[in-house]
Amino acid sequence: MSEFEKLRVVTWYEFMKHIRRKRLYVILGLTFIAEIAVLILLPVLMDKYPDNVMAMAAMLTVGPSLATIGAVFFAGDAIAGEFESKTGFILFTNPVRRITLITGKYLASCAAVILLVIFGYVITAISLLAIYGEVPVEMYKSFGLCLLFAGSVLSVTFFFSSISKGSMGATVITLVFIMVISGIIESVLMMAGKPYWFILSAGGDSVALVYGGMELFMEGMIPAGGMSMIPFEFKTPAIELFAYSMTGYMVVCFVLSLWISRRRQLA
Amino acid sequence: MSESIIIENLTKYYGKFLALDSLSLRVEENENIGLLGPNGAGKSTTLKILCGLIRASSGTAHIDGVNVAEKPEQALSRIGTIVETPEFYSYLTPEETLMYLGRIRGMKGNRLKKRIKEVIELVRLEEWGRVRIEKFSRGMKQRLGLAQALLHDPPVLILDEPGLGLDPRGVVEFRAIIEEVGKEKTVFFASHQLTEVTQICNQVAIIDHGKLLAYDSVAQLEAQYKSLEQAYLELTGGTFERI
Repeated sequence: MSEFEKLRVVTWYEFMKHIRRKRLYVILGLTFIAEIAVLILLPVLMDKYPDNVMAMAAMLTVGPSLATIGAVFFAGDAIAGEFESKTGFILFTNPVRRITLITGKYLASCAAVILLVIFGYVITAISLLAIYGEVPVEMYKSFGLCLLFAGSVLSVTFFFSSISKGSMGATVITLVFIMVISGIIESVLMMAGKPYWFILSAGGDSVALVYGGMELFMEGMIPAGGMSMIPFEFKTPAIELFAYSMTGYMVVCFVLSLWISRRRQLA
Repeated sequence: MSESIIIENLTKYYGKFLALDSLSLRVEENENIGLLGPNGAGKSTTLKILCGLIRASSGTAHIDGVNVAEKPEQALSRIGTIVETPEFYSYLTPEETLMYLGRIRGMKGNRLKKRIKEVIELVRLEEWGRVRIEKFSRGMKQRLGLAQALLHDPPVLILDEPGLGLDPRGVVEFRAIIEEVGKEKTVFFASHQLTEVTQICNQVAIIDHGKLLAYDSVAQLEAQYKSLEQAYLELTGGTFERI
């Protein structure tokens, strides 16, 4: 039996895990509630929806948050869980390369996160169609960047999962790294007018930036002339830079997680 | 007759702790050998090295002539294992678990389905075949552990305390199964239960502090020390509490 066939089997059974877990459906439910909240609160608080469909599309973009939450909750236990719950004693004693097992887990987590992201984009597209009668073509670009971001967050999660003793530790470390540490560094660099495209959380921001940059997004939120109140100037880097950065995170962290997992012993 | 398991100068350090100290052991094909020793003697470490779960600091381990460290997949294809209390994915049923493990071992189709049915019946889990494992007791997981170890009909069985967590009836049934399948397989069996070892194994290896203290037939050890229990106590220099 080829390693590729084994990979197919591992991916399918790992995907089954995500499908059977409640967390997938909880995240889907929360996504739905978040999107509905935006659709209800905007006209209530601002009297109307933004005039620009691009600004509205940016506001409805929940893909990066979904990708982060999905990746962390689906993949946090992918490697650490095998060691913590000792299921590895059954799995790792089969004639399958550790690389195949970890890659199968990665692909299954990708599939589950893609499901979440598609769900978020379908809601956004339907909402925009209902309100504006159109869907901006930039949504495809945003979707592609969101998938890239999901892949990079998954790789980072796999990396932390490969070095953590427990699933909870891996999940918390990844969330803190992406949402707190990366977020803070990104904000500081942005305010200082320094390049910030290489920060992972900035990759998530790029998913909405394709609709027209930070200025458009802020104008959708702040009353006319309000942008002058912001004490610093937004400089949006080229989208390609974010894509390169996310690809880097995705490849490097995944390869590292494979290397560490191969060497890790189950004592 | 060839040797199924060859362990040569196996040494394992956990940090500064020496778990195995140049352990050497050769197990003939179709021989059933019990690995005895007090807690921390190095039994589980030996089995985990044979299963490719941990690496030896030095020395080699071969299964059916295949070096476990150099060709782990090839070596693992020849063994069925139970290491510690087996844990399974709680979201799967026993049938799905065995289907998964069988498929990654290259089994498929009706042959796999038939074999799954056979091993589930063998370990008496027929009524639980389609129930998710999250509802299983420790003893039931142990039964499923034996089922997955036998699924691909391996020539070598490596079992670490397989009777752990079973009720008295389960222990008796378990011993009978291993005794039966052991007639045509090499069984390498770590246990604290001397009666279990004498029932299943014809050879015994006693280790302590990672060193091999004795390796002989049960009959020979009983003749030399009056009983296996006495042999164990004298060789490990312990008291009954250490057993």
